[in-house]
Amino acid sequence: MTDYINRRKFVSRTALSAAGLLLSEQIIGSPNYDSSEAMILETPVSSYNLMKEVMKYRKLDSHVHAHLFDGGPESNISFADRLGIDKMYVSLPAYNGEGTPKEFSYYNDLMLKCMKQYPDRLIGQFTLNAIFQKESMEEINRCVDLGMVGLKVYTQLKINDRLFYPIIEKMIDLKMIIHMHAYAQLGLGGYRMKYNTGTRPNTSIPEDFVEIAQKYPEAMFQYAHIGGGGDWEYACKMFAKHPNIYVDTSGSNNAENMIDFAVKCLGEDRVFFGSDNCYYQSAGKILASNLTENQKKKVFFDNYNTILKKSGNNVD
Amino acid sequence: MLIDINAYIGHWPFMQLKHNTCEALIERMNKFGVDISVISNLNGIFYKNTQSANEELFEEIRSKAKFRNRFIPFAVINPIYAGWRDDLDVCISKYGFKGVRIYPKYHDFEILDPECIELVKRVRDYGLPVAFNFRMVDSRQRSWIDTAYVKDNVIREWNLRNILPIIKAVPDAKYMILNFANAATLNAEEMALMKNTDLLFDTSGRTITHMSDYLKTYGNDKFAFGTHSPILDYLTGLLRIESLSPEEANDTQKEMLRSGNAMKILSI
Repeated sequence: MTDYINRRKFVSRTALSAAGLLLSEQIIGSPNYDSSEAMILETPVSSYNLMKEVMKYRKLDSHVHAHLFDGGPESNISFADRLGIDKMYVSLPAYNGEGTPKEFSYYNDLMLKCMKQYPDRLIGQFTLNAIFQKESMEEINRCVDLGMVGLKVYTQLKINDRLFYPIIEKMIDLKMIIHMHAYAQLGLGGYRMKYNTGTRPNTSIPEDFVEIAQKYPEAMFQYAHIGGGGDWEYACKMFAKHPNIYVDTSGSNNAENMIDFAVKCLGEDRVFFGSDNCYYQSAGKILASNLTENQKKKVFFDNYNTILKKSGNNVD
Repeated sequence: MLIDINAYIGHWPFMQLKHNTCEALIERMNKFGVDISVISNLNGIFYKNTQSANEELFEEIRSKAKFRNRFIPFAVINPIYAGWRDDLDVCISKYGFKGVRIYPKYHDFEILDPECIELVKRVRDYGLPVAFNFRMVDSRQRSWIDTAYVKDNVIREWNLRNILPIIKAVPDAKYMILNFANAATLNAEEMALMKNTDLLFDTSGRTITHMSDYLKTYGNDKFAFGTHSPILDYLTGLLRIESLSPEEANDTQKEMLRSGNAMKILSI
């Protein structure tokens, strides 16, 4: 819907004219001023209703945490309600510490507790540390039996480490996605290593994802947070020809062209909505994109739901 | 009524930008209901002689009436470059610019450089605001030739503590502190300084993870809608305002955030 504002009314309404806001007399009276343009009275300004647009789309948050950045699940639910997010797929990877079996089981238990507290809204992604092979395989079985629907791992090992192979094969059998923290920036992996940016050395980079995706074409990989501060253009270009690598849009960065570029590179089926608890940016950057209605619907909801459907965990 | 206090035209040398001309920005404004935008020319960050960028902006704005009606231009001034005092005077007195943006990190001077202090005082004496920001882009995705952001370089992303010294030095100036991207905990004295200063943050920065918390901390009169467009997306800054519940901000307070606070600092 568009409102056509009469310029005189507009100026009067905003009290700008008397204050001389609309640029100084020097500009208005400048020699190059085309007086015929003053006859343009109609200025179209949309009456865009942002919250109506926000609530128009169902949303599945494919990358979000509880008990990590902003407290327990109450905070998650508060923002889910505020921004119309149907369900959040919560995880708590071994962000600090060694990632021992005791630690990762504890983190998974916390997520299971969140699921019990909000069974219709929060679903868990389990975590593990593949260095501890036996315990990790047992933890997958335990967590899947208790209703968790995917794997989220951090920086203890790179995604293409041989120790991950049995885990990946298990996830193929379960038809569940492998969601890995990831980054692309100067000083990381093969990307201009002469710059030391202090990033954890085992952080997975786009090249690692490509290598493992080629080795296991039947597996599904989720490259975490293209909005996480890294070079999203680099990552998306790297994945263009690898159909089993998906990206989520989460993170605190909301570059104007990020979503359009991701869909241009990867197609409209391989981009998931995610927040990483950066809720405003996560919705804002998709709504501000030039995607079609159907593409926005896919990114916000359908694409991740398609992944969940493979293991029978999709949302109706 | 919606006023965006943090928008740009121009180029970022390390990444292609969309919607980065006056014409394209007006399309965004019309599409998403923004009446007026405060803009400056990004090129001014990278030109050694920033006045060339101010001239570009002046020429573009005066080329069409609709630009003059919808944009409030801010000059980019580098106070350690020759002729800046004359440039400032031309921008304000002749071009009609309504404020000044200052980039100490990119223009390589300290925020308490005597000439930076002098610039802030001169803008104050015109009755206009100066604008600083925390950062332009996330340093984690910097280009290898974006030398302002090398790790361990003393010039890193700022938080509020890096900007406080100039506020303390010239407390009676008007300030816009833009792209609130990094957190800092202020002591009581620093918070009092913030609250007693004629100062506005915009809503574009990533650190504002819960808008209502920031309103409680700094006050409803300290924030205004801003996009940091076209570097950041056009809607996130607005979403921080529009998604506030009635308990967090009533209609009057939301109007302050949409335009009232901006009109006050811009004296309109």
